[in-house]
Amino acid sequence: MTAEAAHAAEAAASAARVGIGGPVGSGKTALIEGLLPLFHARGTSLAIVTNDLVTQEDAERLQRSGLIRPERVVGVEAGACPHTVIREDPTLNIEAADLLERQLRPLDLILIESGGDNLASTFSLDLVDYWMFVIDVSGGGDIPRKRGPGIVRADLLIINKSDLAPHVGVDLVLMQTEASAVRDGRPVLLTNCRTGEGLDRVADHLAHDVLMEA
Amino acid sequence: MLRLTRIIGNATEPAIADRLHALDHDGRVETITLDAADTARKRLRVATDKGTDCAVALARSERLANGAVLLLEDARAVVVRMRETVWLALAPRDMAAALELGYFCGNLHWRVRFEGALVKVALDGPRESYLARLAQHLEDGRARLADEGEGE
Ligand SMILES: Nc1nc2c(ncn2[C@@H]2O[C@H](COP(=O)(O)OP(=O)(O)OP(=O)(O)O)[C@@H](O)[C@H]2O)c(=O)[nH]1
Ligand SMILES: [Mg+2]
Repeated sequence: MTAEAAHAAEAAASAARVGIGGPVGSGKTALIEGLLPLFHARGTSLAIVTNDLVTQEDAERLQRSGLIRPERVVGVEAGACPHTVIREDPTLNIEAADLLERQLRPLDLILIESGGDNLASTFSLDLVDYWMFVIDVSGGGDIPRKRGPGIVRADLLIINKSDLAPHVGVDLVLMQTEASAVRDGRPVLLTNCRTGEGLDRVADHLAHDVLMEA
Repeated sequence: MLRLTRIIGNATEPAIADRLHALDHDGRVETITLDAADTARKRLRVATDKGTDCAVALARSERLANGAVLLLEDARAVVVRMRETVWLALAPRDMAAALELGYFCGNLHWRVRFEGALVKVALDGPRESYLARLAQHLEDGRARLADEGEGE
């Protein structure tokens, strides 16, 4: 294939769509805030869809953050059921992602943050190509052993708030090992979104698995 | 890394089938095996049966399917093979058990299909974890496994 043909073929591919799910307050928006400067530095063109129950809280927080141009963030109100709009009927989120993709060409990556839910939420692969599940250590070191579908089936599991482990009596190494075990060895990363620790590795995973950069 | 950005056609189309057949003689057809659920993805990082690292990145309008041909060159072809969905067949004992079992499967968001008096559950994960969820129903006989060669 010539360079031009390769480029044309590449342009035909759509932006990668990556879901971010996880319990309320685990750090999904904080993860996005931490990833934005990293992807900016890597030259990745990015947009975001957030879901909240009945507000635009997370969308507005990101729009005000100064980390991304406000028009690159769209909020979808999920109504009563945060998982319905990412699994059973993701129409609203698909429309929001399609809209961003039409308005912001070329676009490499769309992050879709689910409204905070419980351990059972999973993403429809009609909506996303890949999804991460964010839990945090303060929920307890035994959370991975409880094998929620989000923990078992996500493409990438993130255990956030690693800085809090000593305060809540959690053995981080054990928690990560148990998480890997219930996931048959699929990736589990530790992050601290306060300091940015571990976020480079999250960006590396996305760059490899969905942005196809290396 | 081999970039695959479009679906050229399907292995069942006669013209493509002929070329694949010729390439296959020389061992130049590589296969990507996917679970049915994963065929909904537009982006995938997967290895072929010969170990080639593939970066599949398709337009959103494309849909992977069994037999999708992602590369067809003189030197090599890449074809998708979709793993068959495995179904767990359950036979409820009576009407009351059937109502309960139907509710139960729905409550767990299991994908099911009905065949006569059987409900068949698509296994999207290890069979044991489905059996563990169904333990109560199976133990007291409200339902029994009705797979071929199983149950009474
Ligand atoms: N100590 C510590 N706090 C964190 C970390 N990440 C996030 N937080 C805090 O946790 C709280 C919740 O973070 P968010 O990013 O809003 O969580 P979320 O998952 O987006 O929450 P919802 O969207 O409401 O479900 C905030 O007060 C964050 O500052 C971390 O790594 N360490
Ligand atoms: Mg949030």
